[in-house]
Amino acid sequence: MNYEQLVQSVIGDTENSLRKFLPELILCATILLMLLTRLFAITRKILPPWLLATAGAGLAFFLAAPWVHLSGEVSTAREEIFTGMLVHDAFTIYFRAVLLFTTLLFIVLARISGLSDQENGPDFCTLVLGAALGMCLMAEANHLLIVFLAVEMASVPSYTLVGILKTNRKSSEASMKYAVYGAGAAGVMLYGTSLIAGITGSAHLPTIAWRLSEGIGTDYQLVLVLAGLMMMVGLAFKLSAVPFHFWCPDAFEGASAEVAGFLSVASKAAALALLVRLVIGFTSPPAAEPKRFEMKPAMVATASDAASNASTIPVVHTLEVKESDRQADRVAGMRTFLAWVIGVLAAITCTFGNLAAYGQTNIKRLLAYSTIAHAGYMMMPVAAGVAMMTANPVGASEAFAALLLYVLIYVFMNMGAFAIIAFIRNAIGSEEIADYAGMVRSSPGWVVCFSAILFSLVGLPPLAGFMGKLVIFAGLVDAGMYWLLFVGGINTAISLFYYLKVVRVMTFDPEPETRPPLRLRLASIPGLYVLVLTAPVILLIVQWNGLYRWAEAACKTVVGF
Amino acid sequence: MFDLLTQPVGLTHYLIVGAVMFVAGAVCMATKRNALGVLMGIELVLNGANLNFVAFGSNFLERNPAYQLGLDGQIISLFVIVLAAAEAAVALAIVLNFYNNHSTVDVDRADELKG
Repeated sequence: MNYEQLVQSVIGDTENSLRKFLPELILCATILLMLLTRLFAITRKILPPWLLATAGAGLAFFLAAPWVHLSGEVSTAREEIFTGMLVHDAFTIYFRAVLLFTTLLFIVLARISGLSDQENGPDFCTLVLGAALGMCLMAEANHLLIVFLAVEMASVPSYTLVGILKTNRKSSEASMKYAVYGAGAAGVMLYGTSLIAGITGSAHLPTIAWRLSEGIGTDYQLVLVLAGLMMMVGLAFKLSAVPFHFWCPDAFEGASAEVAGFLSVASKAAALALLVRLVIGFTSPPAAEPKRFEMKPAMVATASDAASNASTIPVVHTLEVKESDRQADRVAGMRTFLAWVIGVLAAITCTFGNLAAYGQTNIKRLLAYSTIAHAGYMMMPVAAGVAMMTANPVGASEAFAALLLYVLIYVFMNMGAFAIIAFIRNAIGSEEIADYAGMVRSSPGWVVCFSAILFSLVGLPPLAGFMGKLVIFAGLVDAGMYWLLFVGGINTAISLFYYLKVVRVMTFDPEPETRPPLRLRLASIPGLYVLVLTAPVILLIVQWNGLYRWAEAACKTVVGF
Repeated sequence: MFDLLTQPVGLTHYLIVGAVMFVAGAVCMATKRNALGVLMGIELVLNGANLNFVAFGSNFLERNPAYQLGLDGQIISLFVIVLAAAEAAVALAIVLNFYNNHSTVDVDRADELKG
């Protein structure tokens, strides 16, 4: 390929990629616009940052359009964009939509609860959108450079968001702990990345998978295992999986409740998406060796050409079509290893989170441990999916779909719980569980909503959390991982007690005299917000099939059959 | 092991320097009680990884030219340098904020949140 052709194909590829990248571009544009509107007094007045941020996140969500792409009418074949840096498929669309939706909910919540109206409101909105951009990139990464960049882009604004309450002692301590742990974990992850990239001689995930399956670099098996574990350190930190969970309760207690909700939902969803991407990326070699970008036939940016080009893009395939048994053995070995690592990590994380939640007196700390436990539940289907990829790709895709469904349900449950905590904090200035005593007498509607969310977090029928747990456990049965199913079942039973404790305090205990009066009505803006988030938790049982179909559609192209 | 000392400088030598930097950084992160010291340890870890990327990406050091990282390695290291600077700026601002509230940068004194 000569120079001119190369330039032409880069231009064509970029034009094609930018169209698929539109929601993220909108986020970038909104961030720039927010910085510009701060320059003049008049623009500050007519375009407040929360309005811009809501509009930007809303427009990005609208353009992400999961209802169009996941309905099956539009083709969502796997396509590599930006010369193979990112990947665009149904999985990308699903996670991008979930993340943007969470961001939108969060910005609205911060506006209603007054967090984004303080003097640093513009910075706050900029940071939120920056973090959302990084999280979207985490879900689309196809190259080790993007993996690291996206993790950092999501983390660095999060550190600052935790410390946004500048004069608060707890907040500053929480953000320092989060930043120091986070930067350390990212450093270790980068070292692991450098070893994997060096041994296989590539940073492009499909190329790495191809070379590993060909046995290139497998002489250094020990180094590969070590590098894989180092990358797991970075991921486990983002997932708040044991033993890298220390930051989570501290950061959540110190941060304001709204930010804690955002971190527990969006950051975790993005980390799970990245985990699935990496695990599948390393263990599903493409059918043929991926070509370097400059070796590919020249590409002109027309829709028909993009379609024909899709044939040259490597299709991840299953083991039936593979010719070499040794290749299959290597891939199966890697899959078994990863399934065990993730499964054991999930079991430990889940058990630890639930046990540590017992003695908590601060509601945010309790929910932080509940988040750790849920990270464990949500890693279980990943382990099951990887374990099944060799023998039962349909089952594997269903296991991953279970994760996707749970992530969506988790958005409503946790954002709802943290929103209620934030509004109660605004009313009484306390986040201690003891101060919630007797709430049912003065604000019964809120207690019903909060209890519904807590029961849903336990996974009691007929709430949404029950459906989520049911499909996850069904995936474990398919994979034959009965030990993990057992751990999950026991943990669900354990978690019942500490969630019930909160409900008991709210309903049965007498009102403490030290507490200022608490009258929360449902017919107010905060009340409506809480109702909007609680309604899906209660009603999703009626209409969860549609969402599950989306989740299934999102996973088909990932496992690739 | 000792033939490394008599051989011409190759990939292995660079990797050893990178590994030493990584270990030094990790030890620094684990043992320093001053928040700034911990941040320096993180810089060392990042730069150890960076050295690996540059060495793996070099055309003159790779054993098998068909499977070399090439320019990717050097571009990644450039990105990491920029990111490390951004991360250090944010972390320093957060440490300064901690100092304003607690009048110390000792990480052991950050013990109000626990349980």
